[in-house]
Amino acid sequence: MSRYRGVRDIPDEEYVAPGSALCAGCAAEIIARHMLKVLGRDTIMVNVPGCYAISTLFPYTAVKVPFVFGVFGGGAAVAQGIRDGLDILREKRGINNERVNYKVVVYVGDGAAYDIGFQSTSAAIHRGLDFYFVCYDNEAYGNTGFQLSGATPYASRTSTSEPVGDSIGNEYRKKDIFEIWRAHGAPYVATISVSHITDMLNKFEKAKEFRGPKLFVALSICPTGWGASEEETIRIARLAVETGMWPLKEAVYGEVRHTFIPRRLKPVEEYLKTQRRFRHLFKPVRREEEIRRIQEAVEEYWRRVRESEAGG
Amino acid sequence: MYRFRFHGRGGQGIKTASRIFGTAAFLEGFNAQDFPMYGPERRGAPVAAYVRISREPIVSRGYINNPDVVIVGDETLLFDPIADPLRGFGGGVLFVNTPSTPRIELDGHVVTLDITGLALEYIGRTSAISAGVGAVASKIAGFTKSNTLDAVAMELEEIGVPGELIDKNLKLAEVSYDSVPSFDLESLPSIERSDFVDMGVVQVRLDDGYIGVATIANLGNTAIRKTGNWRILKPIIDMDKCTGCKICFAYCPDVSIYMGDDGKAHINYDYCKGCLICSSVCPFKAITMVREVKTL
Ligand SMILES: Cc1ncc(C[n+]2csc(CCOP(=O)(O)OP(=O)(O)O)c2C)c(N)n1
Ligand code: SF4
Ligand code: SF4
Ligand code: SF4
Ligand SMILES: [Mg+2]
Repeated sequence: MSRYRGVRDIPDEEYVAPGSALCAGCAAEIIARHMLKVLGRDTIMVNVPGCYAISTLFPYTAVKVPFVFGVFGGGAAVAQGIRDGLDILREKRGINNERVNYKVVVYVGDGAAYDIGFQSTSAAIHRGLDFYFVCYDNEAYGNTGFQLSGATPYASRTSTSEPVGDSIGNEYRKKDIFEIWRAHGAPYVATISVSHITDMLNKFEKAKEFRGPKLFVALSICPTGWGASEEETIRIARLAVETGMWPLKEAVYGEVRHTFIPRRLKPVEEYLKTQRRFRHLFKPVRREEEIRRIQEAVEEYWRRVRESEAGG
Repeated sequence: MYRFRFHGRGGQGIKTASRIFGTAAFLEGFNAQDFPMYGPERRGAPVAAYVRISREPIVSRGYINNPDVVIVGDETLLFDPIADPLRGFGGGVLFVNTPSTPRIELDGHVVTLDITGLALEYIGRTSAISAGVGAVASKIAGFTKSNTLDAVAMELEEIGVPGELIDKNLKLAEVSYDSVPSFDLESLPSIERSDFVDMGVVQVRLDDGYIGVATIANLGNTAIRKTGNWRILKPIIDMDKCTGCKICFAYCPDVSIYMGDDGKAHINYDYCKGCLICSSVCPFKAITMVREVKTL
């Protein structure tokens, strides 16, 4: 059933041009590129302040589909306005061409999705807005210097959670945005990772079947903020999936299915060690208890998945 | 008042260089104001920093649009339309970090030095040029060597550079300081002595009034901005080993790999930023890397 079976099936068309000013090795660019390959030319992209905004620095833009820039908290509200405008043209003016049928996709960071834009997104989902909402989750406010967000994982260093003295870095847990969105009753919710490109392409493709809110959260490796080597972007994304820290799943009308179940979980430290934001867990002294706490949370998650997916 | 504007690429230490210069000016008894551009400071992307120094209290604020001295940390920026380092430059002193010798002389007011080469020699890294750039600016302004080196040590210590690395940076700073001439700032042609020229109203460069709404009609026009000069390492595909599997093509963040008619992957060096993701994902180890040699 899957339309994309391997990288050979990736569509050739490119809707993103080179020459943007995002950091070398940034996963947010890889996600946007593949998202647009599947959604295609007839897409209007909405973006708000955040790293991806610098794909478009006036008077230059790397994005080759219509691109509208809104306020930080208002991505989904802008999408509502565009969708409503197009629908009015079709329903009231009787216009029916490819343009009024354009897809609307909001492409924003975690600060926008989990925090400041959460209210407008929640409201749009509640109203059943027919749109795609794709969060590239680099787990902090990247564009302004990597401050803590509601998506920052436990123990991560950010510029507002410096691990000084006994501090562990970020002491809060990452919000479970997948579950929060699912609880709204959206028709399609999915997690994706750049390490699993065909899984990502197939999920974007599948989402096209549904009318209403289609929500994606993508782990977005951020070499600059995470303190990782640029060439490691894909390896780190893969480790996030294989350690079980970033589950790949989808929910269709609330029904959850994992699209990749690691047979044996790799130890979380293999992932944590690739990034300077977790270095204080290992140096100068190894924080055994904290590492175990992260490991146990992951194992507990997968224990519950195995129970429910085996039983269901 | 004298206005110094620093240009470089994110990650080169241009902001630190401007701080070193500001601190050196302070040690020389000047009032000093130093601050970086606010905006996206991506690794490799053009950045700028500004320093005003004056014997009188400085009341001006905002970006410097009419620099007396322009310090360029990366030669390729001279041709970058967004960085535009010569904007507003009135013919004071221009310094460029480059291994080449200048083709224009401007009565000896163009100074060059290969700080990147020196950084490689003294520190072992091409990206850590802040001490050299700061020291060059300090020498151009005619500050003493001891104040310059003190400023380097103070600023590097403040950002947490370990002791032995500071020593190497001091060596780089000293060699850079000794390699460039001093100028009598007071006699530069561009110097506007009044403090009142850019006082009060901040001169932010904006486009002409007729562009009321920021609309870009030419989609994908970043293609005229070549990001290829961000590269420090350059990926090279061995065509004998490439099977055309498309994996590197799939993962390149910057759309810089295309599949040729020969069925193999090719790199577009105009844009490749040198992240080396392609090299790390190639299952056939067909992509190796070499150090980039920049050509103008
Ligand atoms: C209302 C408002 N508050 C703050 C800002 C400043 N700001 C710009 S980008 C940004 C961070 C965005 O973080 P995120 O959404 O995670 O995207 P990222 O930068 O990580 O890609 C902030 C705080 C703003 N533009 N508007
Ligand atoms: S800071 Fe991170 S998310 Fe932002 S452009 Fe750089 S790598 Fe990408
Ligand atoms: S990944 Fe390697 S073998 Fe495959 S297309 Fe790229 S260079 Fe060729
Ligand atoms: S190094 Fe490879 S993956 Fe990175 S930008 Fe260049 S071609 Fe693309
Ligand atoms: Mg973010």
